[in-house]
Amino acid sequence: MALLVVGLLTIGYGAALVLEHPWPDTLHIAIWAAAGVVLHDFVFAPLCVALGLAGRRIIPRRWWTPIGVAALCSVILVLLAVPVFDRPGARDDNPTVLDRNYPLGLSLSLSAVWATALLYMIGQRLLPIRQDDVADQQSADNVDSQPQPVRPDGQQGGGGGQPDRER
Amino acid sequence: MTSDADKVSLRSTAVTARVGMALGLAVAICFVTGLISHFIQHPQPWFFWPTHPVWLYRLTQGLHVISGIAAIPLLVVKLWSVWPKLFERPFIGGLTRQLERISILVLVASMTFQLSTGLLNIAQWYAFKFFFTTSHYAMAYVAAGAVIVHIGVKLPVIRRALGEPLEPFLAEQVRRGPSRRAVLWGTGLAVGLATVVTAGQTVPWLRRLSVLAPRSGQGPQGVPINRSALAAGVVGSAQAPDYRLTVTNGSRSRTFSLPELATMPQATRSLPIACVEGWSANAEWTGIVLADLVAAVGGSPDADVRMISLEPPGPYSRTVLPARHARDPNTLIALRINGQILNLDHGYPCRLIAPSRPGVLQTKWLSRIEVVPA
Repeated sequence: MALLVVGLLTIGYGAALVLEHPWPDTLHIAIWAAAGVVLHDFVFAPLCVALGLAGRRIIPRRWWTPIGVAALCSVILVLLAVPVFDRPGARDDNPTVLDRNYPLGLSLSLSAVWATALLYMIGQRLLPIRQDDVADQQSADNVDSQPQPVRPDGQQGGGGGQPDRER
Repeated sequence: MTSDADKVSLRSTAVTARVGMALGLAVAICFVTGLISHFIQHPQPWFFWPTHPVWLYRLTQGLHVISGIAAIPLLVVKLWSVWPKLFERPFIGGLTRQLERISILVLVASMTFQLSTGLLNIAQWYAFKFFFTTSHYAMAYVAAGAVIVHIGVKLPVIRRALGEPLEPFLAEQVRRGPSRRAVLWGTGLAVGLATVVTAGQTVPWLRRLSVLAPRSGQGPQGVPINRSALAAGVVGSAQAPDYRLTVTNGSRSRTFSLPELATMPQATRSLPIACVEGWSANAEWTGIVLADLVAAVGGSPDADVRMISLEPPGPYSRTVLPARHARDPNTLIALRINGQILNLDHGYPCRLIAPSRPGVLQTKWLSRIEVVPA
């Protein structure tokens, strides 16, 4: 309850500061803020969902993790590249701002992300299958009988086909 | 082929609460460091800002931009994890539900506003028509307040989610594919990547990796600039042969030509220039200790000192340096940078460089220094 009061007062103070702007500015601030919500909720998010659903149909399940993480990293890199990519803020009098080759930087960083994902997938293939992976492939019914307790305090030896529940 | 695995969604309160905690931390760092920067630039009687360590502002403002950029992947994943709730029924619902939805609307709107305007500002892309500093400052309170309300409303849910195991036991056995743990790991990787590709503008050893940073860290005499002599309109006046620096204390006044300044006792200090836009660079500055100039006109070490630029009147053509910084022996009226005479864009003939201050207040192309009457 205290949090709610503090939070609402803080919002109120911020809103008062926003309203101190000349009204065309206040309006533009409100439009910018609303545009952020609309762009996220009705453009960005649905696009991501559509891509995700399409990906699920095409991509084998075992690759979802590396490809999903690489896709998230790529989205973030692209978002960060938007304000610098073709240097919209560059000014002739100051060559120290936006002084990198951003198209090259974006391609290199995207390549690094996908190369890492590829290496991960190859590694998954080559490395010996871990106990967890075996458990992951089994159904809920596919559990071996419990091995006998080795010690009276209930600690189990070996583990057998027991899925690793400590994760 | 919808199996149990698909029912046990990766989108879960367990993921939302954990990513939300990290996002809350990033927002808190952003808010506090932002307020620090605001109050240095708009001093209040109760606000204390030390001169030591000299890199303190470099640290706080670097953190402001780094945590803001880190918040971008965190916000993306957080919103991903709750997005289907947007379409939950009842769409309108009762008063409580409407209030909750409105509070989340305010939260998402203010967060996207802060992160988008901040990201554009560090790239100096003013695609919006309003003034950045005042709107970013005002909306910071809205965002911080909305986060506090959100935590207040969701506290029982957060507690429950953090108390339960991350992965539902059933899914552990039927699923092959991403786990919720992988979502958290992936989010962490995205945060790390976002940091690495941008933080080099303030963390020197990351420079080569920061391929998307608005600054490479290069510039005349090894230091970037923000406002050029051309933009400030001082190209002529700064190079005029009759240039004089005037130092005043009430009715007492002295003027110094550039050769006179150069023959005064010189001191060299290693100080960072740290911009509000989050880039920073260290340099060796050589010049006259400001306190010596103030003493030359009989000024008190307890007086604030006003710095006036050759730049025509504007928001940053004059600044007031608090007494604490004015009397600090690290504060220089610099004539040289990294062993060379100041480049015109670095503030030739002379500029202020004080420890632990935003670059925008390190007045360049000085024409007058006034001891402010107490």
